[in-house]
Amino acid sequence: MRYADFVSFTYISLRAQRLRSVLTALGIAVGIAAVILLTSIGEGLHRFVIAEFTQFGTNIISVSPGRVQTHGASLGAVNTVRPLSIDDALALRRAPYVQLSDPVVQGNAEVVHGGKSRRVTLYGVGPDFARALQMRVASGEFLPPDDPRSARAFVVLGAKVARELFGGDNPLGSRIRAGGERYRVVGVMQAKGQVLGFDLDDTVYIPVGRALEMFNRESLQEIHVVYEPTAPLAEVEAGIKRILIARHGAEDFTVTPQQKMLDVFGTVLDAITFAVAAIGGISLVVGGVGILTILTIAVAERTSEIGLLRAVGATRQGILLLFLGEAALLAVLGGTAGLLLGWGAALALHIVLPALPVHTPWSYAVLAELVALAVGLAAGVLPARRAAHLDPLEALRSE
Amino acid sequence: MRPADLLDFAWQVLRGSPARTLLILLAMGIGVAAVVLVTALGEGARLYVANQFGSLGSNLIIVLPGRSETAGAMPGVLIGKTPRDLTIEDALALKRSHAIRRFAPLIIGAGNVRAGALSRDTPVLGSTAELMDIRNMQMAQGRFLPEGDPRHSQPVCVIGAKVASELFGSRAVLGEWVRVGDRRFRVIGLLAKQGESLGFNTDEIVIVPLAAAQALFNTEALFRILVEAKSREQIAHAKADVEEIIRLRHEGERDVTVITQDAVLATFDRILNALTLTVASIAAISLAVAGILIMNVMLIAVTQRRREIGLLKALGATGQQIRLAFFTEAMLLASGGAAAGLAAGELGRSIIAQVYPAIPFQAPWWALVAAPATAVITAVLFTLAPARRAARLDPVQALSRR
Repeated sequence: MRYADFVSFTYISLRAQRLRSVLTALGIAVGIAAVILLTSIGEGLHRFVIAEFTQFGTNIISVSPGRVQTHGASLGAVNTVRPLSIDDALALRRAPYVQLSDPVVQGNAEVVHGGKSRRVTLYGVGPDFARALQMRVASGEFLPPDDPRSARAFVVLGAKVARELFGGDNPLGSRIRAGGERYRVVGVMQAKGQVLGFDLDDTVYIPVGRALEMFNRESLQEIHVVYEPTAPLAEVEAGIKRILIARHGAEDFTVTPQQKMLDVFGTVLDAITFAVAAIGGISLVVGGVGILTILTIAVAERTSEIGLLRAVGATRQGILLLFLGEAALLAVLGGTAGLLLGWGAALALHIVLPALPVHTPWSYAVLAELVALAVGLAAGVLPARRAAHLDPLEALRSE
Repeated sequence: MRPADLLDFAWQVLRGSPARTLLILLAMGIGVAAVVLVTALGEGARLYVANQFGSLGSNLIIVLPGRSETAGAMPGVLIGKTPRDLTIEDALALKRSHAIRRFAPLIIGAGNVRAGALSRDTPVLGSTAELMDIRNMQMAQGRFLPEGDPRHSQPVCVIGAKVASELFGSRAVLGEWVRVGDRRFRVIGLLAKQGESLGFNTDEIVIVPLAAAQALFNTEALFRILVEAKSREQIAHAKADVEEIIRLRHEGERDVTVITQDAVLATFDRILNALTLTVASIAAISLAVAGILIMNVMLIAVTQRRREIGLLKALGATGQQIRLAFFTEAMLLASGGAAAGLAAGELGRSIIAQVYPAIPFQAPWWALVAAPATAVITAVLFTLAPARRAARLDPVQALSRR
């Protein structure tokens, strides 16, 4: 059979049973649409999380005390027998490729101004904190570059704290009480919103030395180290470890590059997306069974036609290809419809729920189409073989 | 037609084309099995979390320093410090409440444990004798921390199974000395293996008396106070008491967060149930696909059995009866597929349960009911159109045309 004949024959046999073909393709379409929609949501979430993290920059390494990890965070952030000091943070500036290092301690304290009070997250930080995490000051300035061990009593307010305590007034220059001590407001941060359920605007920033005194502790919670974006990560890590080991005598701290954390998150989210897509893919398998059923019926119905074809010289291979082609065409048509359906549903979802991040990865779309094709071919093998092995004489006689 | 005749009729039809019947059963079975299996996984995860919370101890209330105004700001409260510490005195003051059976103050931190030349970084817990009862801990050897005033301490410690085997190998550990940070402790007890519990492995910890931990970490501040209420009904009472006692001690300032175990558990329960339901409905999409297949095959059957239907009608069968015949067939197919699916799902579940014995995989009863029910309902719904078409056939035309 010529190629054109082959195509037109397949097409005609599908058109002859229009309803049947549409329903069979629909089975595949539903499966593909489910997979596309689910992976779109998964990929959207993935991008959302990555964007949440990278807004602080990607060339950050965090150093925390203690080497024991629970819940993915270092336990040393709570208490440790080997504290990380402000001097450690200052020493890390000498490590190769390091641009900034910033000591951080975090806690919970009450801030009071003019009869209003509010419990907020309090950060004890160095003057480079805003620069390290790429956060912007809306008015005033961030903490001045004092010696972090004996800094002046200045405070920078998060956007929400400023609004709650001062209403519409300009807070710059006012005095507030934070954790029982008096501080002068030198700046207000730009609103940043929630990041992974953590409100970054309900915070105040004071010099780290004063925060350590306020909380009566000697160890920092972590040190943020910002390195040159082009520098090799392994060397930066090694440099940080060398300096701290020289200062402490042992490796009693944990170094976590932001990049590594992103990788872990990415792997976890990819695994979840894959699992959900696989569950959606079960419908695809059921769709495949549908193609198998319908083709089995078709072979039985078209026995005499197959016999005639064989009698006028069609080879077994030709018949095999004919039925395989029909199965593949059904699957691909269904797949394409499903692709459009899933994509449309994802778009509609995005319009209805703008908060839900949706992104259709094209690699998944192509993959889904290939899987549909594979399912169609696999489902077609048995009926096509049966058709090809029909004895022409017997087949013609069945009329 | 009598119901028995209907069943017999449908049965003959199904037996007439076994390949077709088997394939439809397969499609339905895959769908039902997927739903059962997926919900079993979800329910297993839920029960696992519930058990983990149960092993934390019952009627538990957790007091942590710091309070936040915005609901989402958990991380700050969880590990942050506060200007006014939660102290041993605060904890001892809780004795005043009648609703509280016992409590254990807790300090936690990273420590370096050494015995001879071997050294290991582990979490170090500072607490009192009550911790053992509150957390349902079991001893393998020796005894737990001694009772007594938490403000004074003896240089003793209790270690987890893994710490013991890594520091001492197979030697006896009771009575040995270990060094934590810059202090020495005598090992008086070995914890029984409990494994992971909410990301916290009791095999890898060292427990020292509270006062010793305070000296070790150079801090007055407690990390948590674990409180056990006298009974389930008293939990709300105990929570209110704790808040009030600490507020009075902290000059009227409400600067602690009190969490009840039930509230946390309920949250987890809700989240995991929602997840299970979502995933189950994703799996149930395959049932719809199987429904489409049934519809397709029924439509074909109507065409193929035109003469037979015409004959039935000529013999006096009403449209209603023809419809019923088709529905019976669909229902037989669906329930057969559902039964096969339930069996396959159960088989898969027991295989997974063999591989991960720690997690109690168990399909919830609602899934065992909903999956077959969905199968049967989809089958009937998708048979509506073919059955209508069959019932509307004109007997004369159906019989006359070849």
